[in-house]
Amino acid sequence: MEITYKIIHPYLLEIEWPAIISRKILDEQLSWKFFLETNHADLVQEIRLGFHTLSLTFYEKVGKDNWENLFMNLNKLNTGSEILKSPRWKIPVCYEDPYAPDLSGLAEYHQLTRKEVISIHTANPYLLHFYGFLPGFMYLGGLDPQLHTPRKAHPERKIEKGAIAIGGQQTGIYPNESPGGWHVIGKSPLTFFTIGSNPPVIPQVGDEILFESITKERFREIDKMVSQGQYEWTDDQ
Amino acid sequence: MSGQMINKLSQINFIKPGFLTTVQDLGRLGMAEFGVPYSGAMDGLSHRLANHLLQNPETAACLEMTQFGPEMEFEAATQLVFTGAIAKIYQNGLEIPLGKVIEISSGDRIKVGQFQEGQWLYMGIKGGLLTELIANSRSWYKNISSIDKIKKGDKLPYLPDNDHFIHRNSYLKINSDWFGKKDLQVYPGPEFPLLTHSQSDLLASEEFTLSPIQNRMGIHLQELIPNELDPILTAPVYPGTVQLTPSGRLILLMRDAQVTGGYPRVLHISDDSLSVLAQKRPGEKIKFSIIQ
Repeated sequence: MEITYKIIHPYLLEIEWPAIISRKILDEQLSWKFFLETNHADLVQEIRLGFHTLSLTFYEKVGKDNWENLFMNLNKLNTGSEILKSPRWKIPVCYEDPYAPDLSGLAEYHQLTRKEVISIHTANPYLLHFYGFLPGFMYLGGLDPQLHTPRKAHPERKIEKGAIAIGGQQTGIYPNESPGGWHVIGKSPLTFFTIGSNPPVIPQVGDEILFESITKERFREIDKMVSQGQYEWTDDQ
Repeated sequence: MSGQMINKLSQINFIKPGFLTTVQDLGRLGMAEFGVPYSGAMDGLSHRLANHLLQNPETAACLEMTQFGPEMEFEAATQLVFTGAIAKIYQNGLEIPLGKVIEISSGDRIKVGQFQEGQWLYMGIKGGLLTELIANSRSWYKNISSIDKIKKGDKLPYLPDNDHFIHRNSYLKINSDWFGKKDLQVYPGPEFPLLTHSQSDLLASEEFTLSPIQNRMGIHLQELIPNELDPILTAPVYPGTVQLTPSGRLILLMRDAQVTGGYPRVLHISDDSLSVLAQKRPGEKIKFSIIQ
C-alpha cells in the first residue's frame, strides 16, 4: 500500500493511506499510533484518526530529516498480526415505533420490508474506525450497500439521544440529542458517552459493534438498569 | 507566594449576563479522539496577554465575552485586566482602560458595555477563575461542562488576592490595529492540490467578506468558489481548517467546531491569524496570504 504524508504546518502533519475504508488500513493506523505513543510521546502531542488518515500534532517544529527517518521506521512496522481479539459489543436496539420514525420510509425507498431492513442491519458486526462529529459518535464501517440511503435534504432539528440512524453509506448512534440529516431507524437505551469516565466511551477504536433487536418492553427494562448504573455492556466474542 | 494569605474562595455575582459570556482557558486537549472539540478562547493571543499581564500561569481560565458584556459584582479583593475587543468598561461607574491591571475591592461593580470594535473580550483575574475542571480544562462546552453560558444570578469562584504591589504598573495600551489588517497567514490544506489553478488563484488573490454566519464553531465567507470537488472520506479537522463545500462555500472552523469533517480542507489558518480572524465582524474583509 502506498502511504504518503503532507506537512500542513510546522507542527501538524497528515499521513495518508489509499482513500478507501478498510480493516487493513485501520490495523496499520493503530499500530503506527501505538508505536508513536509508546516511543515518541515527548515529540507527538496528539494523534487523530480519519478513515484513511493519521494526523499528528507535534510539540515542536519537526525537522524534515528527523521526520523522514521516523516515517521510514513506521513503514517497517510489522502490522496485521492480531494477538488479542477485539471486543464485539452487543448494542440492544428497539426498531419499533415510536423509536423508529424513519424506518418505514427507508424500507420503502429500498423496496424492502421493515423486517428485512432490521435483519440486514443486525446481521453483521461493524468496525469502529474512529470517533468524531459529536462527543462519543462512532464512525462505523461495514454498512450493507442495500441500506445505503442519501441523507435528508433538510436535517431534523432534533434527533434523540441513543437514536440509531443511517446516512449515506454509514450507520451510527447519536450519543446525545442533536440536529441531524440521517434516517432514524431505532433507539438504544445505552449511554454512549460519559464525560466523567476515563475513557468517556466503552468501545475503543478497532472494536466491533453488533446491533441486537429488542422489544419495547426489554428497552424499558434496560433503560431502567442503565439509569440505576446496573447495566453491563456485553462482549459477543 | 509571599504576601498572600490563605483565603476562602470568593465569587463574582452576575447581575447581568451579557450576550454570551463563558469561561475559557487554552482548551481541552486530548479529548478530540473521542469527538470532543478543543473549545478554549477564540482569540488566543488576547487570552494569553491577559494572563501574562497578571503574571498568571498561561493555563488560567478567563472570562470570554462578546457583543455586549455583563455586569458583575466582586465579593472580595482581586486584580483584573481586560484584553481583546475594544469596549467601554466601568468600575463603579468610572471608565477603566483596556490592558491595565485594575485593583478590585470587595463590593466593586464592573460593567462591560457595548463593543465598539472586535468580537471577543477577555477578563483575566488574578489566579484565574476556579470553575470546574473537566478532562483537564475549564473551557465551557455544552454537554461537557455542566454549564455552557452565564445566566443572570450565576456566580463564579476565584481566590481573593490582596497582594497588589507587584501589578500596580502593569499596563499595555491596547488598540484594534493588530486585528484591523486584512491579511491572514494560511498554509495549503491537505486537499489544496485538488484545486484547479483558477480556484487556487481565486483563493490567493480575492478579498473575502465575512458573512453574518459566525459563532464559536465557525465563520462563513460570502464569496463562493465554484467547484466540482468530491467529498473526502471523513478526516480530522482543527480550529483553523478552511473547508470548501460542494456549493462553493468557504467555512473557517473555529474553537468549538466538530473535530472531523467530510468537506475538502483547502487551507489551514495559522494560530496567530486565527486570533485576528476571531476579532473580525460580519461585513469585514480578509485576504489569504498563502505560505508555501
